[in-house]
Amino acid sequence: MAPFRTQHQTNRNAAGGPSLPMMPPIIHSSEGPVMAKADTIDHGVTEAPYERGFSPYDFNGGTTLAIAGPDYAVVAADTRLSSGYEILSRNVSKLHALTDGCVLGSAGCKTDVDQLRSVLDIKQKIYHHNHRKQMSTPSVAQMLGNTLYYKRFFPYYAFNVLGGVDAEGKGAVYSYDAIGSFERTGYSATGSGQAYIIPLLDNVIGHKNRADENRDLPAEEVVEIVKDAFVTAGERDIYTGDAVEIMVITKDGIQTTTFDLKRD
Amino acid sequence: MSEITKSLNPDTKPSGFSFDNAHRNTMIEQAAMSSNAILPMATKTGTTIVGLVYKGGVVLGADTRATGGSEVAEKNCEKIHYMAPNIYCCGAGTAADTEKTTELISSQLELLRMNTGKESRVVTACTMLKRMLFRYQGHISAALVLGGCDVNGPHIYQIYPHGSTGKLPYTTMGSGSLAAMSVFETGWTEGMEEGDAVKLVQRSILAGVFNDLGSGSNCDTCVIRTDGTVQYTRGAVTPNETQPLRDAINHSDRLNMGPGTTVVLDTKFTPRKVSLEDVTVTEMET
Repeated sequence: MAPFRTQHQTNRNAAGGPSLPMMPPIIHSSEGPVMAKADTIDHGVTEAPYERGFSPYDFNGGTTLAIAGPDYAVVAADTRLSSGYEILSRNVSKLHALTDGCVLGSAGCKTDVDQLRSVLDIKQKIYHHNHRKQMSTPSVAQMLGNTLYYKRFFPYYAFNVLGGVDAEGKGAVYSYDAIGSFERTGYSATGSGQAYIIPLLDNVIGHKNRADENRDLPAEEVVEIVKDAFVTAGERDIYTGDAVEIMVITKDGIQTTTFDLKRD
Repeated sequence: MSEITKSLNPDTKPSGFSFDNAHRNTMIEQAAMSSNAILPMATKTGTTIVGLVYKGGVVLGADTRATGGSEVAEKNCEKIHYMAPNIYCCGAGTAADTEKTTELISSQLELLRMNTGKESRVVTACTMLKRMLFRYQGHISAALVLGGCDVNGPHIYQIYPHGSTGKLPYTTMGSGSLAAMSVFETGWTEGMEEGDAVKLVQRSILAGVFNDLGSGSNCDTCVIRTDGTVQYTRGAVTPNETQPLRDAINHSDRLNMGPGTTVVLDTKFTPRKVSLEDVTVTEMET
């Protein structure tokens, strides 16, 4: 077999002479110096970017629920604001009255919730100026759904539940997902403690899986059921606690009560 | 080598790292990534645990909440574990890891007491724990506050999951450690009286209970004195009883499930017949 010669690859510069092999650049990222891969056109910046895994969302916790009755609606939410394992505040309201006849309860990322409320308030005000009357609850429900879908590809991290009385004075509850899908229901719960509350409401309010006689519940009794539900959620969900704010909406207006929960 | 083959070829001189489970672990990782299977979550204890040295011994304290993610798995679990008659250990991290690690070393200490005829020393427990935790390279998620009294006096050690230790006059561990340490740094002095030491430990645990979401419910304490007595108090402080909250509510009768709430589809009563035909009597031979 004939001997063969290996060709040595040497980098040739523009002048035609050999030059030193390229050293991979050192990238100084926020986590220290990193040797970048030499054969990429971006000189390795994608390997060691300055911001790693930035998330625009934070979960600030909390649970909200709403129950519709024959002539009232009850909307309730806990008042704890948290981030990670820290408590930021024990007394921040998650409920916001959009008109005299409906209340929006929102859990999730507080800054998105605040912005959503601002946007809805402004739209509601413009409607009021244009139509010389307040928005009815079903109209507010549709507006909220549209507002959420508007940000379909960078959603408001807000879990909403809308409770109020409709034009006939009957209780109305609407539940939403983060991107605006909504439905009128008899009751709803959302947020970190929803898994502990919804089964309870299914049985007690929805009268599911029980054979005893169903009856209409007065607003006062529903308020007591809501208190029991929040004590239960507070036991097992670390993000729910401190206090629960309960609003009862009737055609005569909105009444608010507060009930203290465990603070651990 | 698996558990079964190990008994056939016992390790007479075990040394170094054991890679028995390396193959199994890679299989689990691949399975988890591919089919989006939800792996069972280990219960972590969230936790606030503390220990301090006072004039007459040591005081250990712990909260009683165990979490699995954001759910409270257990409202009143025990985090102060027995190691020896004069040594107790608080554990934070994965609940199973702290439980089994302390049990293992506790049994090793008992065997050593039988072998030597002497009382266990706190440094012995510390060395056994750190050797085991280092061997597992931090995969055993157990952060411990070890405390006790021996011939050399009262001692408190802190032990991290990777195997490093610190010998300190007072220490805190767990997610609520910052809240608890702020109380300790303000209130600890050298040579405290027992009453003051216990109160300081309780206040620091309560700081964790109320300000850290990973800790909650009650405070347990354990006082180990240099004279050999131990006072382990489960629920030394219980500021989170639910009954007062429930009593303040006027309960709806919809929450009572009397007879008739659940539909009974069918009832069948089968009496159990005991026939003596199937019974054989064999006399015992002594």
